[in-house]
Amino acid sequence: MRAALLGALALLALAGCVRDGNTGYVEIKTVPASARAPSLYIDADKVDTLKSGTTVLRQPVGTAKLQVESESGKLTLCQVVVRKNRITTVTVSALDRPPRCQCSRTGTTDTRTCIG
Amino acid sequence: MSDPILHLGRRARALGFVAAALLVMSAAPAPAQTQSAQTPGVATADDEFSRQLGELKKSFADIGKRIEDGAQSIERMKTPEEGRKSIEELREHVGKLLGAVADNGEVSKLGALALSRADDKLKSLLAETRFKADEKQFLVDKWKELRASTESAIKELDGARKDFSELLRTLQTNEDYIDELMQIREHEKALQVIHQLTDGIRDASVKLRKLLGAIKPPGA
Repeated sequence: MRAALLGALALLALAGCVRDGNTGYVEIKTVPASARAPSLYIDADKVDTLKSGTTVLRQPVGTAKLQVESESGKLTLCQVVVRKNRITTVTVSALDRPPRCQCSRTGTTDTRTCIG
Repeated sequence: MSDPILHLGRRARALGFVAAALLVMSAAPAPAQTQSAQTPGVATADDEFSRQLGELKKSFADIGKRIEDGAQSIERMKTPEEGRKSIEELREHVGKLLGAVADNGEVSKLGALALSRADDKLKSLLAETRFKADEKQFLVDKWKELRASTESAIKELDGARKDFSELLRTLQTNEDYIDELMQIREHEKALQVIHQLTDGIRDASVKLRKLLGAIKPPGA
């Protein structure tokens, strides 16, 4: 019983570390803000409707895939590098077909990688 | 830099509105609710939102103290390395504030659920036939008030999210600039940039204290 309890506590502590210690933020903006925002996904999660064209999401550190729903399925727009306690801003141009990522800072070789 | 700081006071009032709205929502008798089964997930959303706001207040108080300490220490920095470390710590604190109000965070989700509950209540009350016209009108008016204050508070929370995002961006951009300056051995200039951050951080700390004073968790 005690072992199970200790195990559960250890798991909770680990979950807390993962949640608090390895988190960054992704800000997604759509331009123009008045345009109907496309259905976006960050990794497997659907991004809820963007309020006033902007949303800020808490994401685990690493690289996340920003995708848009199209007639032929999900289409990858860009990769977003999420760094600990930093915010990466990605602007999605809804006027382009398909929509296009505009990174405030890009990877040195790959312009489709946004870095915070 | 000025926007996120100047608007924190308004955010404080907003959180107060949310707390007040939730207090009324949890205390107000809901006759229609007592006679019909609620959806379990929705029924607990208000309580959970209230609880989360209480937690938010506690953690914001702690973070506020740390930011204040950070502002004091950054002023006395003698080397850019110390300054960079301090900015990194401040990013962690601001990150926690932002995480608490992120769109995919629990508070935001619960706020949306609370709003949805108010909408559902209004819809069901309008179709209600059990009550006298004046009773029904009273309930509808109360729920409309609650819905309006909840919606307004959620809008203000959106603003808080924007302010915290800008503050975090300012810190990380300055940190990157300091890093670049150090690479070209411009240590004095880097130290100057660090010291310039002091006023902004101190202002943010003051505004955050005001925000804490305005949060009134339901039931308190």
